[in-house]
Amino acid sequence: MSGPLFPAQEIGSLAKPRWQLLGQRGEPLDAAAVREFTSWNDRVHFADASDPSVRALLEGRARELGPGPVRDLGASFALRYFECVGLTRVYDGEARRIEMYEYPIRQMRGFQFLGHVRSFDNKYYLKAAGTGEVRLERPYHVEEFDYVKAKATGIPKLPITGPYTLADWSYNEHYLGREAGWKGPAARRRAQREFVVAIAKHAIRPTLQALIEHGCRVIQIDEPAAGTHPEEADIVAEGFNAATEGLDATFSMHICFSDYRSLFPALLEAKNCQQWAWEFANRDTDERDGYEVLNMFREYDDHREVGLGVVDVHRNEVESAEKVADRIRRAAKILGDPSRIWVNPDCGLRTRSLDIAWQKLQAVVDGAKLARADFERAG
Amino acid sequence: MTVRIALTGPFPRSEVLVAATRDGDRGRATPEAVEARYAEAERDVVALEGRLGFDAVTGGSLRWADLFRPFAEGWRGFTVGPVTRWFETNTFYRQPILHAPPERVPGVVRGALPGATLVPPGQAKVILPGPFTFAGLLDNRSGETREALTHRFGRLLAEEVRDLRAAGYATFQFQEPLLVVDPPEGPLAEAAVAAYRDIGAAADGATSIVWTYFGDAVPVQPLLARLPVSVVGFDLAETEPDRIHAPPDHRGIGLGCLDPRTTLPEDPTEVARIARALQAEGKPRELWLGPGGPLDLLPTEAAARKLHVLPAAKQLLAPNGGSR
Repeated sequence: MSGPLFPAQEIGSLAKPRWQLLGQRGEPLDAAAVREFTSWNDRVHFADASDPSVRALLEGRARELGPGPVRDLGASFALRYFECVGLTRVYDGEARRIEMYEYPIRQMRGFQFLGHVRSFDNKYYLKAAGTGEVRLERPYHVEEFDYVKAKATGIPKLPITGPYTLADWSYNEHYLGREAGWKGPAARRRAQREFVVAIAKHAIRPTLQALIEHGCRVIQIDEPAAGTHPEEADIVAEGFNAATEGLDATFSMHICFSDYRSLFPALLEAKNCQQWAWEFANRDTDERDGYEVLNMFREYDDHREVGLGVVDVHRNEVESAEKVADRIRRAAKILGDPSRIWVNPDCGLRTRSLDIAWQKLQAVVDGAKLARADFERAG
Repeated sequence: MTVRIALTGPFPRSEVLVAATRDGDRGRATPEAVEARYAEAERDVVALEGRLGFDAVTGGSLRWADLFRPFAEGWRGFTVGPVTRWFETNTFYRQPILHAPPERVPGVVRGALPGATLVPPGQAKVILPGPFTFAGLLDNRSGETREALTHRFGRLLAEEVRDLRAAGYATFQFQEPLLVVDPPEGPLAEAAVAAYRDIGAAADGATSIVWTYFGDAVPVQPLLARLPVSVVGFDLAETEPDRIHAPPDHRGIGLGCLDPRTTLPEDPTEVARIARALQAEGKPRELWLGPGGPLDLLPTEAAARKLHVLPAAKQLLAPNGGSR
């Protein structure tokens, strides 16, 4: 990595502002939403107040505007928010996305949505079955990337749900159905591998190719399901490779809230992954033990970049810049090479208010500055 | 060998009930309207169990927010804790937090079961958390060791069984995924055996079932064989059937032959083949067929489709059953 040490990057979604939620539903903005819009516009300058779309939104005519222009404004807002706080790699805070499973699956053939499954309490999610050969209907996320690319001054980094997670969150009828005899653990594992690789090759890969053709150069593959089945870490890696092998972009893999040790060494076979973007701050204490897992990279002689989670996205308490700097120093010491570190929140900040998220990102950026100064002084 | 079929855990909520509970949470439906949908859905599950000829009826545990919630909300010593991942699934439970040694509150379990007019106690299967899994999955701030807590839950659940026996209930199943996911050793294993000794004594002639799932039971078979219960169940998606040994004392075996992690229906002839092999090896007194794990990992229609495999397999296993 060239350039200043410890560049900062976004890692996932941002809370949608109230004005966007109301506006894209065609509802007039209430006073709080107008205040929110104008105060953030004063801070990050994402919209021209004389623009007819902006005027329509603020004057209560969201319905005639339609959801598209409101989402555009939402994307512009998140992008400028990240840029103004000082991130090097930026995106649109997933302003156009509602979730990370249903939308990608709906862009593919070979799936059928079957109904709701309870997540917990009275919360449910829609779940699909893979019922045929996986094929891509059309590459997705391309239009949102084009929009970001046209507006961004930072480096766009696109997040996309990975093949393992899409397979794991679906039922595997087609590939498991081809297994003869009793479908016990061995058969299920073989079928899971086939399913993951099929999604990787026939849906994710052509989407990545289209994104790269449109100029996307930095792509984060999100695999939140990887941590739930550590014994399948080799399949996660195989899916990653099948999706990305030979493609000309910088790829990272984001896995949050897992026992990362259980994924070693199988996950290291994801050869085209240049950066491991993981969560550390959530489990950290004053002893900085949240970062001890980085020792595994030394043990396995893995020298790739690390996207270092330095602020906890599940707590409102804002970390001080000094605490962030201390976390970076600890990680740099373990890794033995500060130039391998990018800094970021543990995961997306969408569960935090925009104000708290801003303060946390500012801590990321300021903490990186402090740590950078230390290393520069030390020569 | 007697073959019995039944649900082994929660049945998924119907799409109508999904919508109703969501509406209830968002203030778009009254509690009475949501309750009406619960009652309707429960009647539908009982009717399905009846149509399929199930040997024990559960009503689908539709009102149970998770395996522990009636206890965490109704027994003393608990509060309801954070959302926590339910084993290697994309579903979650609220982890009970135990602040003091737990105390049973009579009537809590009974209140969480379908009414006796809908499911007569003699036909019901009562599904409860197993003492080892309960003690192992909560956030234990009680000051008791896990061993002591496991044994204590055994005693409390035994009291529950006694009360329910007095009310006419005769079939009890204890959910023990943790026994195979994180098998106990040494004193903890002994605590599990002791807990089931209490439960077994309370069952006193009733059917007591330990149901394992989400893990390979093969390494734990010696411990499972020591549990003084009528039936031990195995999740065949996690445990290769040809590695299961029928218990030497001819007690019953449960075959979790429906995999709730896939919508693909199982083949009844395969289920019957596996059952016959176990029958030949160990001559178990009874065989229970059911889902390997909680069927509410599936949407409702897919779950209902799968359940049809059970009577078909039972038919094949009948003395004059279908062709082999």
